[in-house]
Amino acid sequence: MIEVNELSKVFRKPIRGNGLSGMVKTLFSRQYEEVRAVDGISFTVPDGEIVGYIGANGAGKSTTIKMMCGILTPSSGSVRIDGIEPYRKRRQVAQHIGVVFGQKTQLWWDIPLIESFKVLKEIYQVSDADYKERMDFLGEVLDVKRFLSQPVRTLSLGERMRADLAASMLHNPRILFLDEPTIGMDVLVKEKIRLAIHALNKSYGTTVILTTHDMTDIEDLCSRIILLEKGAILYDGPLSKLKNRFGNLKTLTLTVPAEIRAETAPLLSPEVALSEEDGRLILRFDADNVPLEQVIQYAFRDLRAMDMKLAEISIGDVVKTILAQQEATDGQAVAQ
Amino acid sequence: MRYVHLYFTCIKRSMISRLEYKKDTIVALFSFFFSNLCSLAAVYFILQSIPALAGYSLAELGFFYGFSMLPISLDHLFSDEFWLVAYRRVKDGDMDMHFLRPVPVIFQVFAETFQPEGFGEMILGVALITVCAFHLTVTVTFGAIAVLIIGAVFGAVIITSLKVAMAALAFIFKRSGPLLQIIYNFSSYAKYPLAIYPFLIRTLLIFVLPFGLFISLPVDTLLTGAHDPWLLSFAIIGVAAVFFALAVRIWTLCERRYESTGS
Repeated sequence: MIEVNELSKVFRKPIRGNGLSGMVKTLFSRQYEEVRAVDGISFTVPDGEIVGYIGANGAGKSTTIKMMCGILTPSSGSVRIDGIEPYRKRRQVAQHIGVVFGQKTQLWWDIPLIESFKVLKEIYQVSDADYKERMDFLGEVLDVKRFLSQPVRTLSLGERMRADLAASMLHNPRILFLDEPTIGMDVLVKEKIRLAIHALNKSYGTTVILTTHDMTDIEDLCSRIILLEKGAILYDGPLSKLKNRFGNLKTLTLTVPAEIRAETAPLLSPEVALSEEDGRLILRFDADNVPLEQVIQYAFRDLRAMDMKLAEISIGDVVKTILAQQEATDGQAVAQ
Repeated sequence: MRYVHLYFTCIKRSMISRLEYKKDTIVALFSFFFSNLCSLAAVYFILQSIPALAGYSLAELGFFYGFSMLPISLDHLFSDEFWLVAYRRVKDGDMDMHFLRPVPVIFQVFAETFQPEGFGEMILGVALITVCAFHLTVTVTFGAIAVLIIGAVFGAVIITSLKVAMAALAFIFKRSGPLLQIIYNFSSYAKYPLAIYPFLIRTLLIFVLPFGLFISLPVDTLLTGAHDPWLLSFAIIGVAAVFFALAVRIWTLCERRYESTGS
């Protein structure tokens, strides 16, 4: 169980000038600015849950993860992992968590992967029987056996990430923190990584905190998401609820005869927005207010549709909309 | 016991890393041996033109130089990673991995690198001592031998402690390499008898950065019987214990200031 309570992290940075002369002036200045990377956030994650921790670049996701796993000490507030604060009793917590940073490998660069695993086995005091069992499991779900004898330096990005994931799971952690585990991966590797996370969660009940910019990761894996913006939580709850935040939004894309144009086409109701893109008509509506059946009839009858594609609003669109709204209100606040 | 076993596992890992690049290893060993040989030759040429320095003969000065290499080489074997911490690793946010493992960070840094080049220095030092010893006319006592061994071993502990404390400052300053370099450079003062220095530097080298305490004083004890070997041994061990305890304390205090880097 993870309990985050009023957690904040403030970085104190000297206000810097530009260029060489500005940097020299900075040396003698005493002005500092405070950057609130994480600003008073609270949430609780029960055991066995997979949580998507999302937000724009610089929203404070990695900073939170680093406080949760004991790398950074919070400026105020607290994190408790099974009741223990990781930055106070780092070693005790480290035994029970696994961490992967998509951007940085934690494996030794120039030795064969299997040698890294052997050292980690000693560090985490994994018994021989457990080690064998884990290697079999990980060998299967992450397919690492093929490149066990290669130095990490020679692995491809996808292989390296799978190796890093395997390394973080070697000691059967109760909680796994994954900071952008699919960054830069091709679709097949992404799929493999998702399946592995699923398998781990199912077989061992591992809690997973996942940050990602790939909304497919979120939709495939997470039952709950926490949306962060400028260090504060904008949304915390089930994925389905976030999707319906703007109603049951649907998009209908139509291929229509050339003479049907968006400007001149008859409208069904003001609640169905009509637009044109690449010669196709696009209808946007809330299926809770306007019955889908009615819209489809209208598309065939009045717009003479020859082909159509129905899509739900994607989680990416929702997040985009929320962040855009937030930015707009922030802009207003500044203007006032 | 667990940590001893873990240390050897990590050291084995470090050696595998070193041997991974065959040519690099051979070049490194060769260049290291060669650079040490060059500095020895330089000392020989300088000393040859000055037949005596503050009353010390060529053989005695050679003995000083050779002995000073012992604690330095021991330190070099076990704590080379702290240079990287001071110069680069904290600044680059490259310490994250150590903070994630259920083992003290300082232990992991020690275990990260074992530097076999240290053996080269040690062999050269022992060779120089042996050659010079044949030209010395002193009465060797058991106490003098003991204080030399203690000076070498606990001297290494003192050097390492200074290194750890200076490297720890990187957690606050982001980069403390140059500072570590300054402190470390004082060890070259200790390659010569303390008698050649003015009072201020002599005091500094005994009481503040005690390179003189574990290099010059033990050698003087052998050559002239100037100091009581047991009292000196006691002092060296005491200073080493205090320095090491302080260094570990400074490290653990500074470690909490680690900021990593954005990703």
